[in-house]
Amino acid sequence: MNRTVLFIGIAIIAVVIGILFTGLGKNPNEIRSPLIGKTAPTFALREVGTGRTVDVSEFAGKPVVINFWATWCGPCWEEHPILVANARMLQPNVQFLGVVFQDEEEKILDFLRQRGSGYPTLVDDKGKTAIAYGVGGVPETFFLDSSGVIVAKHSGPLSADLLRENVQKVMRQ
Amino acid sequence: MLASLGRILILASLFAATAGALIGFAAGRSRSLEGLNWARRFAYLYSALIMGATLLMIYALLIHDFSVGYVAQVGSRAVPMWVTIVSLWSSLEGSILFWGFVLGAYVAIATFLTRGKYTEYQPDSIGVWLACSAFFSFLLAGPANPFHTVFPVPLDGPGPNPLLQNHWLMTAHPPMLYLGYVGLTIPFGFACAALIKGRLGPSILKPLRESLLFPWIFLTISIMLGGWWAYEVLGWGGYWAWDPVENASLLPWLTATAALHSIMVVERKGILKGWTITLIQASFLLVILGTFMTRSGVFNSVHSFTQSSIGPTILAFLAVSLLFSVALLAFRIDKLEGEGRIEGAGSREAMFLVNNLLFVLLTFTVLIGTVFPLVVEAINGKQMSVGRPYFDAMVVPIGAALLFILGVGPALPWGRATGAQIKKALLPPVAGGVILAILGFAFGVRNGWTLVTLAFGGYAAQVTFSQMFLPMIQRMRRGESFSTALVDGQLLRGRRRFGSYIVHAAVIVTIIAIAVSSTMRETSELHFVKGQTQQASGHEVTFLGIEQRQEPHRLSTIGRFSLARDGKELRVLEPRMNQYEMMREPIGSPSVYTTAGSDFYISLSNIDTRAETASITVFYSPLVVWIWISVILMGLGALFSLIPMRQRVIAESRESVVGTAETA
Amino acid sequence: MTRHSFRFAAVLLLAFVVFTPQGEAQVTDTAGTLRVPDAAQFVGEPQGTPLTGDALNLRTHQVGQLLRCPVCQGMAVSDSPAEMAVNMKQQVRELLERGYTEEQILRYFELSYGQFVLLKPKFEGVVGMVWVLPVIALLIGALVLFLKFRKLDKDPESAAGPEVAPGSDPDDMPAADPYVARVREMVSGGKR
Repeated sequence: MNRTVLFIGIAIIAVVIGILFTGLGKNPNEIRSPLIGKTAPTFALREVGTGRTVDVSEFAGKPVVINFWATWCGPCWEEHPILVANARMLQPNVQFLGVVFQDEEEKILDFLRQRGSGYPTLVDDKGKTAIAYGVGGVPETFFLDSSGVIVAKHSGPLSADLLRENVQKVMRQ
Repeated sequence: MLASLGRILILASLFAATAGALIGFAAGRSRSLEGLNWARRFAYLYSALIMGATLLMIYALLIHDFSVGYVAQVGSRAVPMWVTIVSLWSSLEGSILFWGFVLGAYVAIATFLTRGKYTEYQPDSIGVWLACSAFFSFLLAGPANPFHTVFPVPLDGPGPNPLLQNHWLMTAHPPMLYLGYVGLTIPFGFACAALIKGRLGPSILKPLRESLLFPWIFLTISIMLGGWWAYEVLGWGGYWAWDPVENASLLPWLTATAALHSIMVVERKGILKGWTITLIQASFLLVILGTFMTRSGVFNSVHSFTQSSIGPTILAFLAVSLLFSVALLAFRIDKLEGEGRIEGAGSREAMFLVNNLLFVLLTFTVLIGTVFPLVVEAINGKQMSVGRPYFDAMVVPIGAALLFILGVGPALPWGRATGAQIKKALLPPVAGGVILAILGFAFGVRNGWTLVTLAFGGYAAQVTFSQMFLPMIQRMRRGESFSTALVDGQLLRGRRRFGSYIVHAAVIVTIIAIAVSSTMRETSELHFVKGQTQQASGHEVTFLGIEQRQEPHRLSTIGRFSLARDGKELRVLEPRMNQYEMMREPIGSPSVYTTAGSDFYISLSNIDTRAETASITVFYSPLVVWIWISVILMGLGALFSLIPMRQRVIAESRESVVGTAETA
Repeated sequence: MTRHSFRFAAVLLLAFVVFTPQGEAQVTDTAGTLRVPDAAQFVGEPQGTPLTGDALNLRTHQVGQLLRCPVCQGMAVSDSPAEMAVNMKQQVRELLERGYTEEQILRYFELSYGQFVLLKPKFEGVVGMVWVLPVIALLIGALVLFLKFRKLDKDPESAAGPEVAPGSDPDDMPAADPYVARVREMVSGGKR
């Protein structure tokens, strides 16, 4: 028996299988944000419909939920009613903001007219704000505490439970 | 009904493979001929069952029997017949079934061709083949069952993944890849049998080499087809993105290529036996790893259409195969002691060692680059990427070194050589290198690595061509006529030698074409309004207008561009954006004008039907078409070397060898 | 040009670089000041020279090759037609136009997306090992071969010349090879 071959072989097996095993069940497309625990980038964007400029720093002192979405994204439709209902319920303690990018204004207005809205929806021209937040795909939601620090991020559609869980994290801060 | 029948066939194939494997290993232990015969029967039975199951599935697809689970999943009454057949491998369960089909065919053919021969190794080889078969039948019986019954029976199905229909290359690529991937099971079986017996005698080398070379051909072609597909469809003007799935097909190719070289040293010198066996085992294991990469959803790739729950099962199989291989190696490698030895650093066998070092280094680098994001995530939880800039930086120098050895190796003689002889062998081809590099420079090549590639390529080309026709030239010197010398020296005898130099020549062309096309590529981004003409890379491009075509499952928006050079119209190019119903991002289809010298490639980046404007990216790359041509030539060269020589010819050439040996 | 005046020019250039682009970062609108997150907040003022024309196109393409498009599975920003990638490329272009260096731009994207966005791994920490490991493998392999060859050269037998001149045998079979000799014996049936 060749011990060297055995030991090297076993070591290779352990490393290869171990590493591949850790990868199972993870979604390689989900980007975990390095911004968590950091102060959120500030922005002032135009609100859809009114044309008014909404500055995120207006809401300093209370938690903010920023939802990046678009009308062409199916999962965004799913989570929209949940967001609207919770925004109403948590008013005025938590501020909700929608940020839309890669979309057309008429479509957004149509969408909001049909499905209701309860908080400002802002247009992110050329996705610059999305880039600063490290948005990969829509929907993505960021939870900021009252001091403007990003506490949590969720990729994909939010369920009512997930939303509440994350809002609670922000409120606790 | 069909579903139940299919299920029975799968379960029976699982039984046949398992029983056959056990009988095979038992027969190998007891050296029982009777046991070997039974193992062979079970091998045929397994093949018949799994191929029957696949044919049944094709039948179910063709008659649109939507009570069969897989048909309900990928079938559709709306698609043409060829799409229906192709949908056999368009989704996970079907592609595993197709894998089983190919494996069944390989096992049956290998069992048939080895009948009455290699009786020492055959029981264990069949045992290993059938053990692998049993695993895939197990997948089909459980985690990836294509034959589950659907109730209530749907009236129609969604059809296969639209991407499959986007380009014909996507339908040709998977079968080729499977013929390559699956075929590596056969040499793996021989290699394991040799280890179990603790002997790698001269007799087993021929089937080992040929069963390795045959799938190698398909693997080579399929890698090229994958690259060609990316080039024709993805629209970024390149053909290789170092994507995990692309790497997965390259890795076993690299080790198999290394093994094809080291096996020659085993043949000539009786050394490197354990090393060669390790490479063959590694090729098979990398195939399983590649399957895991493609199917587990762990890797982020443009090519992984199907992500599923079979990841853990494949990982378990990989672990077991790895353990089996390592254990066999550890217990037996010392028994495979070498008979000859390497006789000097300036010999051909020494160059084979360098070649093997480089191939293994390349494999290691590509593997590390591919899995490293997982490693980092396991260590510190951070996400990272390893992309093209890394692979380009690492692979180009290794590739250049390999090209250099491809020139030096065949120039050197086997065995010992004096310094003067080495010089005499190595100096003349420098002319070829210098000429090609100067030629490249004259054509405007300024990139350092490309010039190095040209120089090494020219050197290697001179060596290859002088070696390629050496038998013919020697015969002519002995006074034979040109035609007899050509037929006897190149085509009848020494096919293996001639074929392998054809492969080398094709490799040189491929590498040069890759280096030149990727470093000399001109990229320009142009914005057009209708009717406008602009210059790009020495051509005039005119935007003729937009056309929209509604097809059953997609909407194509086509930009029509006329391409002209010096006022002479060459072609109307129609790059398009295909919007599929279920997908957000449109998939572009670029349009290419190909000539022997260069490709003019237009890819739409934006098209506005209302304003009638279009933005395009133009890629003008030289020599691209030579990549596809020379890789096909590589396959043909290898195929030529595989054509069996008639016994009489072999006997004659043996006599002539012995004759020269006696007169020498 | 003297060393002194060169330094003066550099200062001028620096001043130009530092002060000009700031105004452009602020996009004004009739309804109030729109403000998008700006690179200056994260990676400071531009440290390079502003680019225009062909140089700008070229550099945009090159830097775009180093950034991974987050929505398109492993493709570079330059290579992807996806809208997200187009936006990112536009951002790269704008930053280059304002004089940001490649390093700064990569850092800016890294801050928001993490090292995930860098197609070329950094040469530091655990991540840097991806560059080092192949080099280590090469060194080990080269060492093994070197030792093997050196042993051969010291071997007195190796000093002898070969029996067969290079390439003279069409089938490349030197008779000195014991293995080949044995095969020949086998095929000739011991008639010799």
